[in-house]
Amino acid sequence: MIQQLFGFLGYYIPEIICVVLMTTLLVAESAVKDENANRGKIIGYALAVLSICLIFLFQNLGEAPLHIFHKAVTIDPFSTLIKIIMVLGTMGAILLSYSSKDIYSNLKSEFCIMAVGVLIGGMLLASANNMLTLYLGIETLSILSYVMSSFKRDEATSTEAGMKYALYGGLSAGVALYGISHLYGILGSIQFAEMASKLPGLEGANLAIVMVAFILFFVGIGYKISLFPFHMWTPDVYQGSPIPVTAFFSIVPKLAGLASLVRISMIFFSQSSVLTISWVGLMIVISAMTMSVGNITAIGQNSVKRLLAFSSIGHVGLMILGVVVLNDVGIRAILFYGIAYMFMTLIAFYITSQLSDMYGSDSHEVFKGLIYKHPLMAIIMAGVLFSLAGMPPFSGFVAKFNIFSVIIEKKLYGIAIVAAINSVISLYYYVKLAKTMIFNEADGESKVTGFTPANQAVIVALFIPVLMLGIFWEKIMILSGNATIFIN
Amino acid sequence: MNGILNWILWLPIIGMVGVILTPKAKENVIRLVTLVTTSITLLLSILLYLKFDTSTAEMQFVVKFPWIEQFHINYFLGIDGITMLMTFLNALLFFICTLSSWTIHKNVKAYFALLLMLQSTVFGVFFSLDFFLFYVYWEVMLLPMFFLIGIWGGENREYAAIKFFLYTFFGSIFMLVGIIALYYATGKGVDSFNILAHQGGKFVNETVTIFGHQFSFEHIFFWFMFLGFAIKVPVFPFHTWLPHAHVQAPTAVSVILAGVLLKMGTYGFLRIAFPIFPKAAVDSSTIIAILGLISVIYGAFCAMAQDDVKKLVAYSSVSHMGFVMLGLSAMTTQGVNGAVLQMFNHGTSTAMMFLLIGILYERSHHRWIVKPDGSKGYGGLSTKLPKYTTVFIIGMFASLGLPGLSGFISEALIFLGIYQKFTTITIIAVVGLLIGAAYLLWMFKRMFFGEVNPETEDYEDMNAREVFYMLPLCICVIVFGIFPSPLLNVMKASVGHLVELMAKF
Repeated sequence: MIQQLFGFLGYYIPEIICVVLMTTLLVAESAVKDENANRGKIIGYALAVLSICLIFLFQNLGEAPLHIFHKAVTIDPFSTLIKIIMVLGTMGAILLSYSSKDIYSNLKSEFCIMAVGVLIGGMLLASANNMLTLYLGIETLSILSYVMSSFKRDEATSTEAGMKYALYGGLSAGVALYGISHLYGILGSIQFAEMASKLPGLEGANLAIVMVAFILFFVGIGYKISLFPFHMWTPDVYQGSPIPVTAFFSIVPKLAGLASLVRISMIFFSQSSVLTISWVGLMIVISAMTMSVGNITAIGQNSVKRLLAFSSIGHVGLMILGVVVLNDVGIRAILFYGIAYMFMTLIAFYITSQLSDMYGSDSHEVFKGLIYKHPLMAIIMAGVLFSLAGMPPFSGFVAKFNIFSVIIEKKLYGIAIVAAINSVISLYYYVKLAKTMIFNEADGESKVTGFTPANQAVIVALFIPVLMLGIFWEKIMILSGNATIFIN
Repeated sequence: MNGILNWILWLPIIGMVGVILTPKAKENVIRLVTLVTTSITLLLSILLYLKFDTSTAEMQFVVKFPWIEQFHINYFLGIDGITMLMTFLNALLFFICTLSSWTIHKNVKAYFALLLMLQSTVFGVFFSLDFFLFYVYWEVMLLPMFFLIGIWGGENREYAAIKFFLYTFFGSIFMLVGIIALYYATGKGVDSFNILAHQGGKFVNETVTIFGHQFSFEHIFFWFMFLGFAIKVPVFPFHTWLPHAHVQAPTAVSVILAGVLLKMGTYGFLRIAFPIFPKAAVDSSTIIAILGLISVIYGAFCAMAQDDVKKLVAYSSVSHMGFVMLGLSAMTTQGVNGAVLQMFNHGTSTAMMFLLIGILYERSHHRWIVKPDGSKGYGGLSTKLPKYTTVFIIGMFASLGLPGLSGFISEALIFLGIYQKFTTITIIAVVGLLIGAAYLLWMFKRMFFGEVNPETEDYEDMNAREVFYMLPLCICVIVFGIFPSPLLNVMKASVGHLVELMAKF
């Protein structure tokens, strides 16, 4: 028994590492004597441990999928790949927080602690195989997020953001729990596979209740990944939070929520039934609305942080289309999109954060004439913007191409047209920002000195995958294609 | 010889790297690097022409490597007679544009780097025989163009650049949907992204369901592709981006835009939209002809109303590209020959016009025939600038289709080709030619004749550099006006193949 337990734990090492990291970080932070001391060493330690975590995750990637902890948690290539993306995203966000002035220097290691905590929640969510684990994941993820969004302690907007996030979060978690309890009541289990096996036999009132219960449950996840109509909290939270936190929110919790949405859709709805049709229909409508709302709202934003936040809503809307097809190709498309999106978003927020530190604002004006002030950063930012818009030869294009290709394979031309039009809308606001950077003359000083060599190196390193994945994407496609979901 | 397309395609990129590596201050070195690159490209394209086998419609100089094997995407290049002409035109115009851009002084390094990148991507569009590769080049081409208009353009350049970008992107995203649909319609097989393998009406019997209604696969995706290409041509009513882009763009970029980029649209019809969806193309030929006719007449009338001479030429491009669409619509041998010839001839004659306007602009810093306050912008230029006037006359008469110059032959062929199928349209289109003569001659009268405008007193005539780069275009316009067979021979087999293919539907 103990042997067996240890054997299972072998697959759980990444999570354990993260938990250990979080606790040791807490201890390390309490040992810092001077309030304003540089937390470089602590951050370095966190990054090193996360890299070790990555190694173990890559090791898991090759293993055969299995359920552990009495089927409460699944370790399959899909969850492992999502975890890899999340760990990379967290590392990026931590690096960003270290160089950003938006996070007060005495809170840098606290940011690290919280981010790792959210990461643990996200990992739990990504491999959750029953409703309880899933709920646990959502809550772990959420509670720490509330704290993170109110990190700028002396600013009212940040506090407001935390407050709003907590209120909406608490409400939607409650609604989701309500839905889950109904599902348990009708289906008699909290294990995904057992619940799914009872779905086809349902009829009459039970079927109706299950339908409603699924929608209630969907509110919980929909809220986390800010799908329409549960996206209302996003603008204020993203606006109020410090930029590294916003960057982190647009990557880790979203991907975690998306992962659980994918798993649930695949387990519950991959056999065709009445429920499947309504679920797919719901997903298509939600995706179309999410894309359109995200992209249209992004047009009017003057704050680049807000613009990126809204555009992330648009991107999630597009990613959801990979769920609609309910097959491995769809999952592959989502995973590839996730990888590409993570790198693009990190760079975009990184550069925005640096400029915002220099000028004290993140409006379009601070980007004016960036090409004359710092050509390299301007070119990279422009590349990332075009990539986000889905222009070749950047990875964003391949990601978009894959999503389009899965929906067209299912002959869902209607939604393909909606997605196409959305892609034009998104190009408009990205190009507007690119225009500000490159066509407008700079006012004020002629050179920007704020980009330290280290930060530039990080940005360039992050940009390499954005470019390479747009040209030589076969390896990553195969990697994503192998990352299937383990159902039984 | 097989690698020659690779060389032509990648040489500008090598030149671009060379430009980027040159220190910013050494502007003349940067110009020279660009000039050397474009001249080698031009020489290679002449070599290509000499080696080109005119007897076959097969793709020549084919290069094929697997790129993304999982999706059967290949790096697949090749040219036939139609692309041979476009390749030569592209190489020639970029060579000339490099010379004409000698007077650019703002961010020289970035300018020439982008110019070379643009040349490579345009070659890429014409060479690609793989849909994915084609699409990538088609889109990437927008980036250098966007920056060239946006950074070096006139006062209203931002609006023009964004409008150009969004418009083209809008069309091409629908094209992407079409490309992916074709990929699945052919069953994801080895040739699913191969443009040639799709040709010949393989999708005649397929249907699609959109928003619950059933449509013919061919018709839906023909119009998707049509949107992508028609915006590029541009066909009425998608032409509104063109005057802005032209007026704002720097001279060389206008030349490239009118000279080769617009041809990418009609090339798309020739290579993709028509042969892949022949039935839909034949079914909608009347609509295409009418749209072409509207472009001809409407473009000509718009041109007549312009006070800005560059805008006038921009609208004349709409009008002339309308002739190309007319020639394509009937799908007869003469019509298509005329259309392809017109693509080439319009490339040379409009390039001349834009270059000449650029030369004048460098002296006067405005382009008004009649200034907004009602006074004359120019006047009596012919007495002051004899060389300039001579070249201008050649360019203008080529543009309006005077017999003996290149424009006449292509337009005559187009009319011959479409007369039987669209008699009424032909007759109306001939009126377009008349309006064309009217606005060009009227412009010429206002600018070159009459009293000498005191403002133009100190203008210098064309210098040696300007004469040198106008010369090849003058030769093209005159020689191919009298003796078009070098061009017609090259494309004969390819055009014949296409017409034969279309005749079955």
